[in-house]
Amino acid sequence: MDILESYLRAVKRCLPRAQSDDIIKELSDDLRSQIDEQQAALGRPFSDKEMMAFFKRHGDPMTVARRYRQDHHSLSLGWELIGPELFPTYLMFLGFNLTLTIASVVVVLLLIHVPITGQAFVVPVLAQIICLTVVFTILNLIRRKFPQPWYYPPAELAPMLPISRWYSLAGLIMWGMVAIWWIALPHFPRLILGPGAAVLKLASTWHRFYVPMLLLVLASISQRILNLVHPTWTWVVPVMRMLINAAAVPILYVLMFKSPTLVVLADGIQSTPHYEQLVENFNGMIRWGILGPWLWMYAGISAIVYAWYSIPHLRRLIRRTRGESPAASF
Amino acid sequence: MSPGNTNHDLFENLRLELRRGSLILAVMASLQTEQYGYTLRKALTDHGMPIDEGTLYPLLRRLETQGLLVSEWREEEKRNKRFYRLSEDGKTIFKQLLAEWKSMNSSLNGIL
Repeated sequence: MDILESYLRAVKRCLPRAQSDDIIKELSDDLRSQIDEQQAALGRPFSDKEMMAFFKRHGDPMTVARRYRQDHHSLSLGWELIGPELFPTYLMFLGFNLTLTIASVVVVLLLIHVPITGQAFVVPVLAQIICLTVVFTILNLIRRKFPQPWYYPPAELAPMLPISRWYSLAGLIMWGMVAIWWIALPHFPRLILGPGAAVLKLASTWHRFYVPMLLLVLASISQRILNLVHPTWTWVVPVMRMLINAAAVPILYVLMFKSPTLVVLADGIQSTPHYEQLVENFNGMIRWGILGPWLWMYAGISAIVYAWYSIPHLRRLIRRTRGESPAASF
Repeated sequence: MSPGNTNHDLFENLRLELRRGSLILAVMASLQTEQYGYTLRKALTDHGMPIDEGTLYPLLRRLETQGLLVSEWREEEKRNKRFYRLSEDGKTIFKQLLAEWKSMNSSLNGIL
């Protein structure tokens, strides 16, 4: 019963550690008893689809775990910002991000030989707290507004959950806007250089990664279109995203470390110290800001996460190739 | 939100509130004889008190922490199950609660 095990693991992750084993043992027995009874009534084992329908009726692992938690900590300012289901995850991400932020600031300050003072940490730390709180508040709102679907299914269960069309559509709109922006960039450099476009232009090195990046954006769009048309093709999400993000890692690496100049002075503009500084600032902003290390790290981490989410699909594929029915694993 | 929805939500909240206290009594009454979670849930359902496991197990844990129940892991039908029953304190409190419930019921019947 690998789906049951996976479901229980997902519940366990959200339980208080001290009681999790005990609760899971009991929950496992209850669920197995229910499954046995229903399978006996059917006269055969559940198919994957039926098993998934059973767990969907039982509930989102996060919600199931919440009922067991005595420590219903949440974040609220008169109204609930982050509910008890998401609060432990919020704290975990906050801890991770703040550690990474503080470590990054220290490394950067050491590299540029600037004394380490408390002031240097204020803005990055506050930015992390605000951004993460906003993101989790939005996630919390979505959970409250649409409590039924599973937003964070464990990898083993994800293949059985059709991708909701609104999710694909939202992604399509977002990536469509990114594609339009990227396609328009060479014709309207103002879209990235702002008023600086009057004296600056994109360097020829830009073209080294312009097309590969465009192809990745178009691949992201095609993934959304595929899932909009075929919500049950759940394998498309992890497999394509793993490939897209894995491909983005070397491209962004070249952009950051192997491309000396991305922006140069426009033709006919006389080089002055002020303009040279402007060129330097824009190169730094694009390389270390807009398309910088954060995007590189995001792509790397996403590639790993989606590779993990691709494994169950691969297992299912192997089972199917061997001619095993989905229910045979039970 | 329509007035129909508001009324429905209000009714649901009040119904849950009303049910919460009765559930404790029903669980304690059922655990005068030893049972494990799944059979207890089935017994309650059969008596018209359906309860999902997400409500029942946390409730059992709470009652056990309060010293009203005792539990024991035992193997049955090749599976480890946790059996619950009323503790001595639980039995005493159950009797008191039952008397209270009967008295409230008769008062309510008088009012209604």
